[in-house]
Amino acid sequence: MPTTSAEERAAICDAVRDLMRDASSEAAVRSTMDTTSGYDPALWTRLAEIGVVGLLVDPEYGGTGLGPVELELVMEETGAALLCSPLLSSGILSASLLAASEDKDAQARLLPGIVAGTTIATVAITGDAGSWTPEGVAVDVEATDDGTLLNGVSSYVTHGRVADILLVVAKTGTGFAIFEVAGDASGLTRTTLSSVDKTLRLARLEFANTPARQIGRTGWPAVQDALDLALVALAGEQAGGARRVFDMTVDYVKTRMQFGRPIGSFQAIKHMAADLMIEVESSLSAARHAAEQLAEKTGAAGESVSLAAFACAEAYSKVTAASVQMHGGIAFTWEHPAHLYLRRARAYAQLLGSPAHYRERYLTQLGA
Amino acid sequence: MADIEDTNPADAALRAEVRAWLKANWAGDLPSDQDKWSLSAATRAWIADVFEAGWAVPTWPMEWFGRGLTQEQADIIDDEFARLGAPGARQDRSNLAANTMLAFGEDALKREMIPGLLKREIVQCLLYSEPAAGSDLAGVRTRAERDGDHYIINGQKVWTSGAAHAHYGMLLARTDWDVPKHRGLTFFFFPMKQPGVEVRPLRQITNESHFNEVFITGARVPAANIMGGLNNGWRVLQTALAYERSTMGARPRGARHSATSDDLLALARRYGGLTNPALRQDLAGVLALRKLNALNNARAKANLEQGTSSSVMSLGKLAMSRILHEEARVRTAIVGTESLLDGPDHPFADDTNFLAFNAYFTSIGGGTDQIQRNIISERVLGLPKDIEVDRDVPFRQVRSG
Repeated sequence: MPTTSAEERAAICDAVRDLMRDASSEAAVRSTMDTTSGYDPALWTRLAEIGVVGLLVDPEYGGTGLGPVELELVMEETGAALLCSPLLSSGILSASLLAASEDKDAQARLLPGIVAGTTIATVAITGDAGSWTPEGVAVDVEATDDGTLLNGVSSYVTHGRVADILLVVAKTGTGFAIFEVAGDASGLTRTTLSSVDKTLRLARLEFANTPARQIGRTGWPAVQDALDLALVALAGEQAGGARRVFDMTVDYVKTRMQFGRPIGSFQAIKHMAADLMIEVESSLSAARHAAEQLAEKTGAAGESVSLAAFACAEAYSKVTAASVQMHGGIAFTWEHPAHLYLRRARAYAQLLGSPAHYRERYLTQLGA
Repeated sequence: MADIEDTNPADAALRAEVRAWLKANWAGDLPSDQDKWSLSAATRAWIADVFEAGWAVPTWPMEWFGRGLTQEQADIIDDEFARLGAPGARQDRSNLAANTMLAFGEDALKREMIPGLLKREIVQCLLYSEPAAGSDLAGVRTRAERDGDHYIINGQKVWTSGAAHAHYGMLLARTDWDVPKHRGLTFFFFPMKQPGVEVRPLRQITNESHFNEVFITGARVPAANIMGGLNNGWRVLQTALAYERSTMGARPRGARHSATSDDLLALARRYGGLTNPALRQDLAGVLALRKLNALNNARAKANLEQGTSSSVMSLGKLAMSRILHEEARVRTAIVGTESLLDGPDHPFADDTNFLAFNAYFTSIGGGTDQIQRNIISERVLGLPKDIEVDRDVPFRQVRSG
């Protein structure tokens, strides 16, 4: 169960919504997405100050100590505003992987900086296959007299170019383990990948005898725990983004005049809008349900995460695509924000695994 | 049974009271009534007991057979009845006629009819649609003409389930032809068992007969049976329709032959479909639609208030229509060639084909998907109404045919 009351959660959302309105407007997003780093340091500091970056982290390390339910609600707000930031990379994936690692030393060493926003960390899981499964890992570990060395490739690493700390999932020969690599480590080549979603930062990392330090317990379950939490965060962003795009579209069709009347009076538009409303409501339900199940650690948590992963991805894709169509010509321009959401939706539908992957995982979890 | 703990002492006391009552009264031996229009005497006796004990409409006011409970408290009653599969409770959520009567009947009519409706002694049917008034329901042409303290009814209704059993019909009829169509309608609680009411069964797309046509010729209804006032029928209808649509957001009748037909994974396993990756994608999609609809309904439940036309209810019906048609498509893919066949020798194929036809019950009945989308867009999203050429025209001058 969440430790916060409904009023407290509403207050958290209000604070984040206010910050997004002030600092992540469309103009701010457009200006930030053209920078190299892909985030606004002042806004990032502000997110750390109000406790969003450290939302999941134990207060022992300066964090806010909240859980999946609060996280999901916050992400609805950041997703609606297309926030450009390393929140998913650092505050969510890295922080939760460190928590799942149960490595107290690493937590004490890394989490305070992550929470404060002064350290940006990210997680590297898949190789060029882009599968976010054990099969996708393409980095090997070698224990030598000179210490632990990594060799191989990690790709699609969010904020992999700007991160100070990389948490790399690698094959140990008997299984998997997590390794800490400094951003400026020797034998590490970081290449920026050109992302279709210009608000996102992706990198490909090549390791050639790169020195690394093992963190905590080994095995895929720790990675999966962090991924499931990140999927709920992503689902929240997708649901919040879908709702925002939908609201924008409904507002537009009420005022856009053609044939002497608002286009929203045409049934061709109305029927699209009604169908999209089901998509928006369903994605909110799916994301919130997954967050609750994860918070309560129920037996159905895994399948609810899978459901949210593909349902929210597919809904966001549908809503953003239809939004462009309903806006018509104006949305075919770069100046109109519809494509920013469409790009985000298309990117998020692949970012931690495809809808098809999570459909398959859902069915397997249901026992088929 | 200690699996539920009520934090609030009043809730715990209520749960204990319901449990004690059920323990003392529920024998669990009711016959399974296949025909909801003619319940067995044993079922009716049980439902009457439920009514007398105050569980039928717990959220209604005390003076109208209720207990004045909140929705949350009433859910406790629901839980306990559902746990045993005992019928008759929480009709404040499901009994269309009783809820409409409570909201719009005159006090004398309410006193006369509500107990019978809740005890299911009075069977009622819906006399809304006509051959020329389907989606355009405000275009009904059945006429009601004043004759002393009665009205004389002439016209033809269609898609009426239970008409042969019904004691009363919820009748929408035209009382004023010189005003635009929505403003000349009146809602009557119309006695069915009288000369001038002829019921003819309709054979449906599924090859079953659950619906009827009703021909009304010179039949009578007391003016005191008007609900919601003269020429205010459209408004009453909206409330009644909201209840009807809310029940259509739930799953309709299940498979005729085998429960396995409704369990998509079991059906797929039986037909060897679980090894087909494309089918697995489809299965996940359909199961997701079901689950998402349940989650949406749970989230919307809090917003549902008695007696109001609810947008969320409309969303549920549209969602269910999509689920059923999708399920029919995926089940057909699972069953494959055998879906060429029907009848009891091919139960899974028959169930699949039945669903493929019966899904239209939800996507057409109670307002087509297209009408539902208009309603959602206009009433929930606030999109402007389409041009209505007959809106401000006296109904007498409106083109028909």
